[in-house]
Amino acid sequence: MRKPEFVYVTYIETTPEKLWEALTSSEFSKRYWFNTEVKSEWKIGSPFALVMDGTTTDVGEILEFDRPRRLSYTFHHVLSEAARKERPTKVVFVLEPHGKLVKLTLTHEDFEDGSVILDGISKGWPAILAGLKTLLESGTALAIPPVALGIEGFQ
Amino acid sequence: MSKPEFVYVIYIASTAEKVFKALTDERMSEQYWVGNRVVSDWKIGAPFALKLKREEKDVTGKVLEFDPPRRLAYSFRAAHAGMEAEPPSRVTFELEPQKDQVKLTIVHDKFEPGSKAFESVSRGWPLVLSSLKSYLETGKVLHAPWYETGNAQQGAA
Repeated sequence: MRKPEFVYVTYIETTPEKLWEALTSSEFSKRYWFNTEVKSEWKIGSPFALVMDGTTTDVGEILEFDRPRRLSYTFHHVLSEAARKERPTKVVFVLEPHGKLVKLTLTHEDFEDGSVILDGISKGWPAILAGLKTLLESGTALAIPPVALGIEGFQ
Repeated sequence: MSKPEFVYVIYIASTAEKVFKALTDERMSEQYWVGNRVVSDWKIGAPFALKLKREEKDVTGKVLEFDPPRRLAYSFRAAHAGMEAEPPSRVTFELEPQKDQVKLTIVHDKFEPGSKAFESVSRGWPLVLSSLKSYLETGKVLHAPWYETGNAQQGAA
């Protein structure tokens, strides 16, 4: 059986440098990532955290930082007891320029069988990446209501 | 072994009516669907075609569901690039308004194991749907360079 993973591809009219900035700037991430700040010193091995409205929701460690091509970090959801018991998963962003576009491929992998967070991240990433695309292309932040995602515990 | 299916969700700052219109309008589809055109009179059972700009043989099918602005489904049979021997697959769009957004879910299923069409559409849909979103939000479509150069192997359908 194939291991569970989540893969999402989107095309954004921007430059790899701008997209990289959007993925690694806490000021920028707040605008498209449900008011979540991405926090790290962005060195290989340094800590990574997602902080939503002041609450740390996910932690990890920087695995790859190859600006503006490849970014990866481990990802460990810490808001619920059940999620904390799972081993950290892995998030990889690959940025490929195609003319005026950047192809962004997100792979979220290394889930345990029966992972309690797979459903939530599968619903969350399309909304986050839609907001990212809109913000880079039009300068407008999408206001997707969290409750619309249908993620248990995320209102 | 489970049959392959492609599932994609995208949020678009638009109304369900506008998204539904874009999915079913020949002129609008030509804008965001890299020059390809959806053609049908959109009655249940009526023929559906995706007129491919760079291929002689169109994608053909039948309208399976037409419930504006909520659900649209058609069968989908590609006859180019060695895919003519495969049975038709199925494309289903579901539109859900959410505040000032539309959540658009596409499921492309009913492929045979090992389907070449599945590989092709899995590469194509993210670009087409990214372009649809840009088109409806900014009025601009996305131009991937491989379409400009005529190498559509990486692209849609």
